[in-house]
Amino acid sequence: MLLDIQNLQAQVEDKQILKGINLQVNPGEVHAIMGPNGSGKSTLSSVLAGREDYEVTEGSVQFDGEDLLEIDAEQRAQKGIFLAFQYPVEIPGVSNKLFMQTALNAIREARGQAALDMFDFDQLAMEKMKALQMSPVMLERSVNVGFSGGEKKRNDIFQMAMLEPKLCILDETDSGLDIDALRIVADGVNNLRSPERSFIVVTHYQRLLDYIKPDFVHVLYNGQIIKSGGFELAQELEEKGYDHLIQAHEEA
Amino acid sequence: MTTLSKPMKKLSPVAQSAVDFYLAQAKALSARNDQPELVAFRQSVAERFAQQAFPSRRDEDWKYTPITGFLQTHYAVEGLAKIDEAAIKKLLPPFDVMHLVFIDGYFSERYSDDLSELPRGLSIEPVKDALDFSQGHCALMTHEQKIQDEPFGCLNSMLFDDGVLITLDPHCQVERPILCSFLQTQDGHANTIRNRVVLAHGAQLTLIQQHVSAQPELNAFDNVVSEIELAEHANLQQIVLQDLATQGAYFGLQMIDQAEKSVFNSVYVGLGAALSRHQNVLMMAAEHIESNQSSACLASGKQVMDTRTHTEHQAWWGVSRQLHKLVLDDQAVGVFNGMIKVHKGAQKTDGQMDNKNLLLSKTAQIDSKPQLEIYADDVKCSHGSASGQISEEQIFYLRARGINQTDARRLVTQAFLLEPLEAVSSPKTQAWLANKLTQKLNG
Repeated sequence: MLLDIQNLQAQVEDKQILKGINLQVNPGEVHAIMGPNGSGKSTLSSVLAGREDYEVTEGSVQFDGEDLLEIDAEQRAQKGIFLAFQYPVEIPGVSNKLFMQTALNAIREARGQAALDMFDFDQLAMEKMKALQMSPVMLERSVNVGFSGGEKKRNDIFQMAMLEPKLCILDETDSGLDIDALRIVADGVNNLRSPERSFIVVTHYQRLLDYIKPDFVHVLYNGQIIKSGGFELAQELEEKGYDHLIQAHEEA
Repeated sequence: MTTLSKPMKKLSPVAQSAVDFYLAQAKALSARNDQPELVAFRQSVAERFAQQAFPSRRDEDWKYTPITGFLQTHYAVEGLAKIDEAAIKKLLPPFDVMHLVFIDGYFSERYSDDLSELPRGLSIEPVKDALDFSQGHCALMTHEQKIQDEPFGCLNSMLFDDGVLITLDPHCQVERPILCSFLQTQDGHANTIRNRVVLAHGAQLTLIQQHVSAQPELNAFDNVVSEIELAEHANLQQIVLQDLATQGAYFGLQMIDQAEKSVFNSVYVGLGAALSRHQNVLMMAAEHIESNQSSACLASGKQVMDTRTHTEHQAWWGVSRQLHKLVLDDQAVGVFNGMIKVHKGAQKTDGQMDNKNLLLSKTAQIDSKPQLEIYADDVKCSHGSASGQISEEQIFYLRARGINQTDARRLVTQAFLLEPLEAVSSPKTQAWLANKLTQKLNG
């Protein structure tokens, strides 16, 4: 098992957001987490990635046999967790190249691999960018500065491709994307699918799941997973919305 | 600019003692100087200095730049320079320059490049040799009143004895940058430097001035005034690097005059000194003038770092750009003061002044005062100032990609600080300056 979340509870500023999440992810699986706004989807992504604004009050998270909650955000990234941000951050003055080179070499160092020199890095970056239909000039530009919503998300997927994580968490990657950008992002993700790599796709809508077919779909509501199923659950949600599920859950 | 009209200020005992000390220094200087006109000039400045004295926090222009600490040390003009070849070699950047060395305020023929073999049209002379009062006044000094209006300008006029005079003939373009290294070697020494740079019609030059200390812990005082005159179509690329030991003091005042279609591009990098203040007074007196004045300052400990500009657009179609960035750590104090004044006859002026500051600690402090004064009605001017801390969102983004906390902060701070260097046209010079800044940042 790659990821094992048991009874995870977390709060931000004394407000309980996650109220006991249980989730198991095996290598190669794609899990979709769906749910209405405010259900705790983004909090779950943030807690897994190591954002310090959230306090874990109960439960455990094992990643690749290690206690994930014991290590910092950068160590999680080095161990193979990748968070694609809902709102990728702009960093003026830091070029994408310097950013990715620093990140990749930090990760390689942590994995006991030699640093990539400039030549090898450029070659690798060009390859990955081409696959994502990105212009090479992007490398010289400041991280996400002046990028459109689609370009920012694509840049996150590019980073994902460069860093070769074991677990990719996509936090509402589809928000703010038009259909073309969505397809490019989804293609990028699909190209990265492998028997070793797992995905948690957090989304509000089914739309993204038409392109990235999940093996499992979980519905998050009020800080708990209230229903799990296969892809057909996403289709059911698309037809009927969340209300009937929530109602059934509250009556139970 | 302050004009102190009060006949006699009431000075603190410390300030009075400093005034008396520097007046005595002027006397001592004159005693070893045989040019009677210079002695008379110095005497007249001394009378003014005795009246005007040092500013206090009650003076608006000095409110945020306290000099009380500076006044505790009496910096003497007398003294013997001690230096070796190795220290000079260390001053050189990793690119080709014409090197002029000033040791404790005086031109060193021995350590400077040979001045008899200069490119065509270029003339370089130590000010000590060039001072000539035979016409009743010194033709080298064209801003004397304004210089003396500034307290440290007045002190400079009273105590200067050397500096560099650079002139470049019409249409001459000098590829190789001139590097003037002003080296401090003695504790408690005052280095008073007067420079003059004159570029004739269409002349082009790159001038790098660096203020450095020979030892890491040295409390010395650099007081430099530069007069810069750019004729039509002239182009000056200037860099001033203040990299003194953190005990000392630096006061730099530049009076710049630009003629039609000339370009003045000046970048100030502030790293050292306990107290420093770099000030441009720029007159854009004709049409189609371009100017850029930027600074990148990094202060830590208890350093006080002040960078300021006064820019006057006096004619049509002037373009001025400014980006001043200060990064302040520990209990450092940063001061920015900028004024763009657009005269009535300066239509189509395009002036932009930006000040951005990054505070790395809760105890660091910034005082920023960007100002616009506009008397023309068809202009495009903007000024802004923003101060803040490192964005935690940015840091988390970097950490989420595997970059550790320390490196993430360094990356973001560095990017912030180095931006003004983008105005430096030579990539090698830019890299050299970036290296100086990052070294201090990472040190």
